[in-house]
Amino acid sequence: MDPAVLARIGNLELVSRVVADGFINGLHKAPYFGASVDFAEHRGYVPGDDIRRMDWRLWARTDRYYIKNYEAETNMNFSVLLDVSKSMDYGSRGITKLEYAKIVTACLTNLVHHQRDRVGFCAFDDDVVEHVPPSAKHMETVLHVLERLKPGTKPGRLKEPLHKLAEHFGRRGVLVVISDFYDDPQTIVEAVTPLRFRGNDIIVFHVLDPTELEFGFNDAQPFEDLETGEQMPVVPEAFREEYRSLVQAHILALQQAFAAVRVDYTMLDTSKPLDFVLYKYLGSRQKLRQAR
Amino acid sequence: MNFLAPLFFMAMAGLAIPVLLHLTQREKNQIMRFPSLMFVRRIPYQSVRRRKIHNWLLLFVRMAALAMIILAFARPLIGREDASVAPGQGAREVVILVDTSYSMGYGARWEAARAAALAEVGRLTAADRGSIVLFSSGAEIVARSTNERERLTAAVSTAAPGSGGTRYAPALKVAGSILADSKLPQREAILISDFQRIGWRGEEGARLPQGARLTPVPIQGGSDAPNIGITTISMARSTFSNQERVSVTAGAVNRSDKPVSGSTIALDVDGVPVESKPLTLAPGASTSVTFAPFTVRAKNMRGTVRLAKDALAADNAFNFVISPSEPLRMTVLDRGGAPALYLARALAIGDAPKFAPTTKSADALSDEDLRVSAVVILNDSAVSTALARRLHRYVEQGGGLIVVAGPRATWPQDVDLLPGSIGNAVDRSRSGNSARIGGIEFGHQIFEAFRAPRSGDFTMPEVFGYRAVSAVPTAQVLARFDGGSPALLERRLGRGRVLLWATTLDRAWSDLPVSPVFLPFIHRTVRYAAAYQEPKPWLIVGQVLDPTLVSSTRTTQRVVLTPSAKRLALNDEGSEVLELTESGFYELRGREGEDIPVVVAANVDSSESDLTPIDPKEITAAAVGVPGGAGGNTGPGVPLTPEAQEKNQRMWWYLLLVGIALLAADTIISNRMSKA
Repeated sequence: MDPAVLARIGNLELVSRVVADGFINGLHKAPYFGASVDFAEHRGYVPGDDIRRMDWRLWARTDRYYIKNYEAETNMNFSVLLDVSKSMDYGSRGITKLEYAKIVTACLTNLVHHQRDRVGFCAFDDDVVEHVPPSAKHMETVLHVLERLKPGTKPGRLKEPLHKLAEHFGRRGVLVVISDFYDDPQTIVEAVTPLRFRGNDIIVFHVLDPTELEFGFNDAQPFEDLETGEQMPVVPEAFREEYRSLVQAHILALQQAFAAVRVDYTMLDTSKPLDFVLYKYLGSRQKLRQAR
Repeated sequence: MNFLAPLFFMAMAGLAIPVLLHLTQREKNQIMRFPSLMFVRRIPYQSVRRRKIHNWLLLFVRMAALAMIILAFARPLIGREDASVAPGQGAREVVILVDTSYSMGYGARWEAARAAALAEVGRLTAADRGSIVLFSSGAEIVARSTNERERLTAAVSTAAPGSGGTRYAPALKVAGSILADSKLPQREAILISDFQRIGWRGEEGARLPQGARLTPVPIQGGSDAPNIGITTISMARSTFSNQERVSVTAGAVNRSDKPVSGSTIALDVDGVPVESKPLTLAPGASTSVTFAPFTVRAKNMRGTVRLAKDALAADNAFNFVISPSEPLRMTVLDRGGAPALYLARALAIGDAPKFAPTTKSADALSDEDLRVSAVVILNDSAVSTALARRLHRYVEQGGGLIVVAGPRATWPQDVDLLPGSIGNAVDRSRSGNSARIGGIEFGHQIFEAFRAPRSGDFTMPEVFGYRAVSAVPTAQVLARFDGGSPALLERRLGRGRVLLWATTLDRAWSDLPVSPVFLPFIHRTVRYAAAYQEPKPWLIVGQVLDPTLVSSTRTTQRVVLTPSAKRLALNDEGSEVLELTESGFYELRGREGEDIPVVVAANVDSSESDLTPIDPKEITAAAVGVPGGAGGNTGPGVPLTPEAQEKNQRMWWYLLLVGIALLAADTIISNRMSKA
C-alpha cells in the first residue's frame, strides 16, 4: 500500500495492523523464512556448568561432554529509537519522513508484539524526547506516544541521546534506529555503536525523501536548512549531479561503516511501500541468526 | 534639450541592475525549506551565471522604467526659443533710484545726478515703463511704473536733496517690489548715488528679483572742495548774578582732503549773534570751539552754531533749543507742616533737575498744589479718606506718589491706591537685632545705579523698625528687609506711579539718612516717581518726534509747524508721532493755540557728511548676486517668466508618469509569469 495513503488513515494502530497482518498472511510463501529452533549450539563442558544441560546422547556417541545451548530470548526486548529532529519533518510526496518513520515504527512494533516480544520506544532529537521502556504490555502505549509525537524543534544530534539510551538497555534485545542521518558517517557510527555494547542487535533505517536523493528542483531559489535556519542561494541544475554523488557516497559510507561494526543498515525511500521495510527487517533477522 | 540636473545621469549605471538580476537570479521565489544543506554546502561555490536572457520583454520593461525615472529626475529643459526674447529686446521695466540725501548737495553732485536720471528717462521707449524712487534714509516712490515720460521727467526735475542720510537697503527693497510686480521681459534698477560707504551696512534682504539688473550710476567729483561740518555741541549751565547762563562748545571736523583756513564758526541765539570765531582745520582734523556764555532768559530759545559756507552746506549748521532749567516741583506732606530734616536736605541738593519741594500738612493740600506738583511725598502722615481719593485721582492723571510708612502712617482701607496694605510696626530696636535692606531689584530704574560693585551698599544702614506690608498682586516689590517683609514697593495706576517705603526717612527707625546711599536713593526715587526725563536740546533728522520726549508737561500738542513752514496736524486717532525730515526748528502747538509752543531742534546726521565712497559692485553683488550687476540674464536669452520656465521644464512630469506606468506593467507581467 502506498505510504501516502497509509499516512492519511491517521490511526497508527489500524495502519500497523493492516500492514502487519497482510504481511504475516503472506509469510508462508516466503522462501527464505526458516523455522525458528530453540537449540543454538553445543559447547564443551567446563566445571560448574549445570549437568542437566549435558547432551548425553552426544556423550554416548563421542565419549565427550558437551553442553547444549538454547536460544534464551524467546521473549526478546524490541525498541525503536526514532529521530524526531526538524529535518525529519520534510516530505515532498504527501508524507513526511517522520510520518513514514512513525508508520514503520508502528508496523514493526505490531509485528514484534504478535511474536509475544516486549516492545519499547524512544524518540530523540538532541536529547531524549520520549521513552517507553520495553514491556509486553506497552504496545498500546507505544502507539499512543507515536500518535501524539510531533516533530522536534531542535536540530538532531545522535551522539548524546543514543549514548544516554545505551545505558538504559541493559537486557539484550533488538534496537531499531530510524533517522535521516545528516551527519558525518563516522560520527553516526560512533554514536550508534555503543548500543551494541550490551549485546543488542542494532538495525538502522536511514529514511530519506526521494527529493533528498534526486534533488529534483528546477528553479534557482534560496534554500533554507530546516535544522540550522541557514539560507543559501541554490541553482539546482548546477548543483544536482554533484549533490546526487555526494548523497550516494554518504549512503555508501554509512553502509560500509555500519557493516564494519555488524550493524544492519537499510536505506528507506519514503516513496516505497512499507512491506519492503518489513521484509528487510525479517530478512536481516534471518541473516543474523544464520550468522550467529 | 538641456537638463537642469544632469548629475542624475550617473544613476544610469543602475540600468545594469535588471540585467544582472536577470542573469544571476531569474526569479526570487519563496524560500525552499530543505532538511539539510549539508551536501549543498560541500559543493564548491561557483559564480553561477545564467548564460542567456530568458525574458527579453521583462528586461526591456524594467530598463525602460528606470531610464524614464532617471530622465525625469534629470529635469529635461526643452528649447525656449519660442518663449524667450533676444538679448536687448523687449519692453523694459526701469526703476530709477535717485539719492536725495544731503550729501548729494556736495558741489555739483545733485545736478549731475539729476542729469543722469533725466538721461535714463530719455532712454525709455514707448513700450518701456519707468518708476522714480527718491531715497535717503527712507525711500519714496514719486512715480510708479508709468510710460508717461513727462511725469517721470517732472518727478526728477522737482526733486532736491533733503536732510536725510543715505541708506541703500530701503531703496533696493522698494525697487525689488516694483520689479517683482512687473510682467515685462526686461527688468532693471538704476541706482544714481554718490555711493557713500556710510549708507551700506551689508543689509540682507535687499535683493532684486531673479533676472533683474542693477545698474549703478556713481556720481562723484568735487572731492577736492573743502568740507567741514559740526559734529555735536555741549552746553554747560552756570548761574551768574542769579541768572542762568549757558556756555556752548561746538565740535567741528574737516572731512575733505584740503586744509581749511580763514573759515569762521559763529553762534547765534534767537537770531542774535553771540560770538564768531575763526576756524582753521587740517585735512581730516577736528577741533572744538567754546563760545562766550549767554543768558537763558526765556523758554525755547533757539540757538544755532554755523560754519562759513563750503561745498556741503547741510552740515554747516547745528541747531539746539535751550530753556531755563525747570525745577521738579513736588509737595511734601509732613505732620505739622514742618519739613523733615534729612529729606529736605536731600532735596535741596538736586541739580539736574533741581527739586522744588513745598512742605505742607496733609490737611492743607490744595488742588493747585496737586496741579503743579510732579510728585507728592506722604512722609509718615495719617491720610483721611477724602485725601486718599484726591491722591487716587492725582495718580491716575499721571502724578507720582511716594508714601513713607513710619509709625504714624495710616491709609484708609476703602481707597485702593497703595502697592500694599500697611500693617503693624515691627520693632527691631534691640541690640544686634536690627534689620537690613536686601533683596534689591537692581534692574529697576531706581536701583540701577547701585548695581555695580562699590556703587553704594544698602546692606550697611540699620533699620530698627518698619511697618509690615503685604503687597497687592499688581505691585512690584523692589526691595525687602532681611526678614522678607517688603521695604519698597511700586504700583502703577493710570498714568502715574505709587511708591511705598515701609520705614522712615529720618533717623527714628533707620540710620539710612546718614548713609552714603541716601542722597542718590532719594533723588532717583523722586525722579522715577515723577517720570522725569531730561529735555533733549535737539533731535536727528529721521528720528520720530514724540511730544512727550520734548515736553514734561501733561498737555497735548496737536499741530506741528515744520522748518519749511508747513503746518501738519497730528492725527487724533492715530499715533501722535511725526518723523523729522528737515533740519531746523519744529514747533508744536495746541489746536486751540496755546500760549507757549514747544520747540524742537532737528539736525542732520553728521555721519552723512563723511563722503568716503564704496565700490558700487559691492552693492550690486549683494542686490543681484552677480558682481557685474546682472542677475540671471547673462546667458543668450532674457529670463523667462516663472510660468514660461515651468512650461519648459514640464517634461519631467510626463517622463515620471511613463516610468510609473512601465513599473506597473512590469508587475503585471511578472505576476503572470510566476503564475505560469
